[in-house]
Amino acid sequence: MLTTEKAAAWLDDYARVIHENAAWLTDLDRQIGDADHGSNLERGMTAVEAIPREEYPDAASLLKKAGMTLVSTVGGAAGPLWGTFFLRFAGALDEPGDDATVVAAAMRAGLVGIVQRGKATEGDKTVVDALGPAVRVAEQKASQGASLADTLTAAAEAAAVGRDATIPMVARKGRASYLGDRSAGVQDPGATSITMLVESAARTLA
Amino acid sequence: MVGIVVVSHSRPLAEAAVALACEMVDGDRPPIAVAAGLDEQTYGTDAAAIAEAIGQVDSADGVLVLMDLGSAIMSAEMALEFIDPEVAERVRLTPAPLVEGLVSAVVTAAWGAGLDEVEAEAREGLSGKARHGSDWNLPGASPVLMAPATPGQVREFRWPVRNPHGLHARPAAVLVAGLAGLDAVVELMNASTGRGPVNARSVNKVASLGLRRGDELLARSWGPQADDAVARLEAMAADTFGDRSEFDEPAQQMAEGTGLQVVLAPAVVVDGEVDTSGYEPGPTEAVRLREALGQVADTLQARADESAGAIFAAQRALLTDPELGPAMRRALTSTRSATEAVRTVFTSVAADFDSLPHPYLRERSQDVRSLSRQVLRALVGQPDGDLEVVDQPHVLVVDELDAATAATLDPALCLGVVTLTGGATGHGVIVATGRGVPVLTGRAEAADLTNGDLIGFDPVSQELWLRPDEATVEQICRTATARADDERRAAEDSHEPAVTVSAVQVLVEANISSLADAQRAALAGADGAGLVRTELLWGHRADAPAVQSMADDLVAIGEALGGRTITVRTWDGAADKPLPFLPEPEPELNPFLGERGLRAMRRAPELFRDQLRGIVLASQRTPVRVMFPMVTEPEEVVWARSVLDEVTSEVGADSVPVGIMVEVPAVALRIAEFAPLVDFVSVGTNDLTQYTCAVDRGNAHVASLGRADSPAVLALIGMTCEGLPGVPVAVCGDLASDTDHTATLVGLGVTELSVRPPLVGLVKAAVRGATLI
Repeated sequence: MLTTEKAAAWLDDYARVIHENAAWLTDLDRQIGDADHGSNLERGMTAVEAIPREEYPDAASLLKKAGMTLVSTVGGAAGPLWGTFFLRFAGALDEPGDDATVVAAAMRAGLVGIVQRGKATEGDKTVVDALGPAVRVAEQKASQGASLADTLTAAAEAAAVGRDATIPMVARKGRASYLGDRSAGVQDPGATSITMLVESAARTLA
Repeated sequence: MVGIVVVSHSRPLAEAAVALACEMVDGDRPPIAVAAGLDEQTYGTDAAAIAEAIGQVDSADGVLVLMDLGSAIMSAEMALEFIDPEVAERVRLTPAPLVEGLVSAVVTAAWGAGLDEVEAEAREGLSGKARHGSDWNLPGASPVLMAPATPGQVREFRWPVRNPHGLHARPAAVLVAGLAGLDAVVELMNASTGRGPVNARSVNKVASLGLRRGDELLARSWGPQADDAVARLEAMAADTFGDRSEFDEPAQQMAEGTGLQVVLAPAVVVDGEVDTSGYEPGPTEAVRLREALGQVADTLQARADESAGAIFAAQRALLTDPELGPAMRRALTSTRSATEAVRTVFTSVAADFDSLPHPYLRERSQDVRSLSRQVLRALVGQPDGDLEVVDQPHVLVVDELDAATAATLDPALCLGVVTLTGGATGHGVIVATGRGVPVLTGRAEAADLTNGDLIGFDPVSQELWLRPDEATVEQICRTATARADDERRAAEDSHEPAVTVSAVQVLVEANISSLADAQRAALAGADGAGLVRTELLWGHRADAPAVQSMADDLVAIGEALGGRTITVRTWDGAADKPLPFLPEPEPELNPFLGERGLRAMRRAPELFRDQLRGIVLASQRTPVRVMFPMVTEPEEVVWARSVLDEVTSEVGADSVPVGIMVEVPAVALRIAEFAPLVDFVSVGTNDLTQYTCAVDRGNAHVASLGRADSPAVLALIGMTCEGLPGVPVAVCGDLASDTDHTATLVGLGVTELSVRPPLVGLVKAAVRGATLI
């Protein structure tokens, strides 16, 4: 059972990581986008940090609030995408099953939301290139009866591999797609920051 | 009124755009809400704020959402999930450009137009701008098809266009009429080129998709009667949207006259523009305009029952197009003059057609310009028809010949028409030649004539005489008299065999590029088809035609010719006349010496095999001969025959007579080696001349050196006849159509002449008069 405390810890840990890396994320975005990914996400996570936790009785309602907060404060593409991820993730938490199965299914729901929203597929040099493999590995681990900790650790590793694979890719979605072949050689900022989210989950949710 | 929401990353940008748009309307304006930026300074979009903005302007009339770039679209889509599904049903996200689209949307919504019309006008913001800059090539009117709020209920219909000339104005009018009265939105796209989507209620827009034969029509429909819309589309498509033009029209219309007579008469030069200088705009311009449009529509309706009625029905459909009304209203708002509004709107619609890639569709812009003139005449109270009454015989000189004018020509007075622009397939040309009036198209040099100047032309030789001197006039009269005599005699006997004075029968056949050609040839008395140019019959398609459809088309041609033998030439593509479905050859320094004709088939054996299969299947139902183009070596014929033999035995058909084109001098020089491989040959004099004389046909500087009647070319034709005793030798190049050389060719031993369809009778007469042998 994912507790409110654990969900809050996840959000706080992710906010800390984003604060630390905002400048780097923005710099990655400067090379292939519009140089706002780090600062946008940092603005959103700062607002998430300010959510009064005691007003939310369970993890799902807190994560939904975080999603709506991101929608209204990030501003760029990450707003609807990260917002959708948290809203769908939270909406899937009442499914039956052990913790690993529930979290893997919730991650799947979040991924489906992002794909619907952004219409990207793997190989487009987007957040999906990291989140897609992470969800697949999480589902596989959970179905083998792995613990939540092992499931999320494996998912984070898969996300990192997917993130690194975006380096040679040519972007086909978003602002970076305007660059065509010149987008190759730079790690995708969205894949980078979503990997941080999965890594953060591995540190806090289990 | 329809509500409008402006979504932008920047709040100042959105607010300034709203202010700009509101400048355009006095009085009532539609409710507008802005959802832009995270605050006054911070760029960004917020789905929750968009949902709230929609709520502010929502009413039963619906809401149009305009967005700027990137996440604005995602946020707007997300907002639809936040609001009441019932409200979401009537919210439309549009890909219209933010500023131009907003201006159009606000103006249109202020009139009280519905959501569909407001959105259509908003999208027009892009194409209006694109039309202005002629070299801005946009992929389509609107690149993104925005799904309705309930994507699950979209019905799709796909159909590969089968109409010979694509989905041009006439079938488009049938499509639009067929969907009338349905409570459904139907958007159409050309899935093959990406043009569209467009509103299926607009004939202009449907025709502007440039749907050519073979292109895929993609229709998407939603709304309460979306299923009915798709069912109607299916039914209409099964009937090729009522389009049988190529099958019915030319045959009927060519029957009345040959249109080949030589003419000479004073010119009547008609300025295509209607003189509106005396027109005074008044306070009731909208009423005047509506009455003029109604008057023209009524006239067209009455004419729709005449022989060329389909053309006028199509013009009427263009005129009653639902997108025309708002465009006129808008133009009237800015120009305040009905004549100016008519000029503005029709010029822009004609420009849409002019920008299309297919010549046939491009020429439909003539219909639009004709409409413009008709409406302008109605406004200034001039009588109908482009012509003032001219009561003596004359040759009409016009910028272009539209169908309305052509239909009002009096063949007793208007002896011929010369157009300054325009091609040979316009509706006006069809109508005029159908009425026996010769037409010469695209002759800009006639522009400086004035009324009363003498003008003459020969529609056969395409010669044009401007202000001829006395000697020339005499010569023209002699030619005209001779032509008239020839035609009369030729017409009398055109269906009889052409037999020389020494009792040798020469088959006079026709060169065929379409079913209409075959029908024309049959009327003209052709003894069959000496050349079916398959690359013209099917080469405009994106994909190679199916085997069965090739067979069916060939059988239709054979039947049109009364079951006489048709000679089918296999694909004759090359770098200078590419076939879309033929593998692209390597770039060639000299394509005329490159992979042409049969040579190209070695790299595309399956394409070749399929075509032979179609030809062999046709041979089971109508007499067919097969002919290979651009042969150089006997080995090539051995290969081609081996493929043909395989196909014939697969199909289980009897063997088909095989021939080759003689167009490479090497073949004529070694003709005896080909004798065991062929049942007949056909000399392509155009290519044979260019290869013999080393003259590029397209190069005016050397053209005079490359004469088809050069002794060298004639010698090669003679060698061909001598080297093939007992084997039929045909000539299918332009030399065969030249009656000055009929006797020479027959004298050399040529036994078949394949000519342009209208000339069959004249060539037959020339054969009968040949006294050389």
